[in-house]
Amino acid sequence: MATFWHSSVALLVALLGPFSLFSPSFATAADEQIAYRLKWLINASTAGDVVAEAEGLFAAEGLQVAILPGGPERDAIREVELGRAHFGVASADQVIRGLAKGAPIVVVAQLFQVNPLNWIYRPEQTTISSGDDLRGKVIGVTYGGNDETILRTLLQRHHIGEEEVQLFSVRHDYTPFYQKKVDLWPLYRNAQGVIIGEKLRAAGEAFAFFNPDQAGVRFVANSVITSAKLLAEKPELVQRFTTALRRGWQLAMAPEHAERTAELIHRFDRETPLPLIREQLALTRELVAHPSPADIGRIDLVAWQETEAIMLEQKQIDRPVDIATALHPLAE
Amino acid sequence: MLANRLLQFLLLYFLAIGGLLAMKYLLGLSDYVIPGVAAMATAFTEMAAIYLGDLLDSLRVALLGHALSLLLAAGVGILASRSTALGSLIRAAAYTVQTYPIVAVAPIIFILLGDGLASRLLITILVCYFPLLLTTISVLTEPVADIEHFFISTGRNRWSLQVAIRLYENMGKLITVVAGSATLAMVGTIVAEFVAADAGIGFSIRKALYQSDLAHILVALFLVGIWTSIYLGVLETAGALIEKKWRNPAGGG
Repeated sequence: MATFWHSSVALLVALLGPFSLFSPSFATAADEQIAYRLKWLINASTAGDVVAEAEGLFAAEGLQVAILPGGPERDAIREVELGRAHFGVASADQVIRGLAKGAPIVVVAQLFQVNPLNWIYRPEQTTISSGDDLRGKVIGVTYGGNDETILRTLLQRHHIGEEEVQLFSVRHDYTPFYQKKVDLWPLYRNAQGVIIGEKLRAAGEAFAFFNPDQAGVRFVANSVITSAKLLAEKPELVQRFTTALRRGWQLAMAPEHAERTAELIHRFDRETPLPLIREQLALTRELVAHPSPADIGRIDLVAWQETEAIMLEQKQIDRPVDIATALHPLAE
Repeated sequence: MLANRLLQFLLLYFLAIGGLLAMKYLLGLSDYVIPGVAAMATAFTEMAAIYLGDLLDSLRVALLGHALSLLLAAGVGILASRSTALGSLIRAAAYTVQTYPIVAVAPIIFILLGDGLASRLLITILVCYFPLLLTTISVLTEPVADIEHFFISTGRNRWSLQVAIRLYENMGKLITVVAGSATLAMVGTIVAEFVAADAGIGFSIRKALYQSDLAHILVALFLVGIWTSIYLGVLETAGALIEKKWRNPAGGG
């Protein structure tokens, strides 16, 4: 059945190639056709994926990759297990939850070395110098999202009862934050953080970010997954994909390539002005190439284990998954 | 009618579950993609009571929203039917607003009304009001030539009489639309809770979606389906009784 799906994907890639986000200009007929499902839409957080395709790095490894944008209803783990995608991007909590339910997936690269999830706040209205300062605040939270897990862990570690804070259910628009009804609002520092920051700056308002990582909660963000079966049956294919992807990220994060990367992203992310994409890229570099460009794609075992421990602690999973067994860093 | 609706829903629901399970076991899929029987049973025992509370919260909004939509649609529809120009403008507005995705309109609603019940209610009304309004306008602007001709020719035609004739002659159609819009009221409420709320079954479904928890979603869908079947069944039964009484006020044959 998986073969059927893979054949279907190949057919889909061939048929939709000219109409997909990327028309691979470097691909040859002999290239292997790969479907790669992102977690979200194309933006600065997908810089390396875009660059790997546009600069022919996948093609250099003999791969014709269809990059499929993600979204709230897209789940890369499901698509990989169903054989509709060969690779995908999923957050660590999705991966661990999937493993706890028996999803046969493996992690082959970790995109963010530092979780981009932060809470934005106005320093004039709110003072946050440590997790203890969360007490008494109105805090935005995506119920069911990984920010809820992180926030609850922070509250627990700082001995703050739920009755001592007011949690506010966040949604797609930031109106309650703009209206100052909420003190802290969760966002991705390198993506929405730049856009919202720009709006606040234009309104003459100061803003700052609260980073849970600095408050002692390490929670892994986006990583690249594939199926355990594909890794077992075609390790060289997984190796080639991972190598091309890592090179794509290295190139995308190189300061001398920044302008070209920003232009490539802007082709797909038309709503975000180029200057803001440049700013987003600079911040993405701090989160991905951390502590140095050599760490791009590195799987941080300790951080993964801490993420698993947090999920157990918060009862997000009902049993340990021994995350180390699902991590497969591939040496270039 | 009510029992039929429930049976039909249960049949469809369990057929769908059977299909999912068949797919799961045939393809050897994990519980992450499609939960197994045990995971579904666990989800049901853990979440049914919680989701029932959420559903009741949603029902409050859906029922109120539906009732307000009926009143609004009747009032505006009758007004619009009096003037061709006004009717045309209202129809144009109805078509335009209906094409707007609620998620795009929602931020404006939340700015105007805040995050409470009023916003949920307005979104519910927006979703289920327009089909009702369009039907009302359509019914009230369509002459019942055979009957109205008599009153026109005898010089006794009045606007109120004309409305009564048209409502009476189209009672079956109106009842069908009222019953059908009940499901739209539920959809509207769930959409409102999905885009912005911290209560209700739509909010619970959104949470479960964030956690890729299909078992929880299936429990929520079961409860929503049961309620919708009951509500539809009750409305249809009431509609049939009203129509019968209307057509035969003396109760005789």
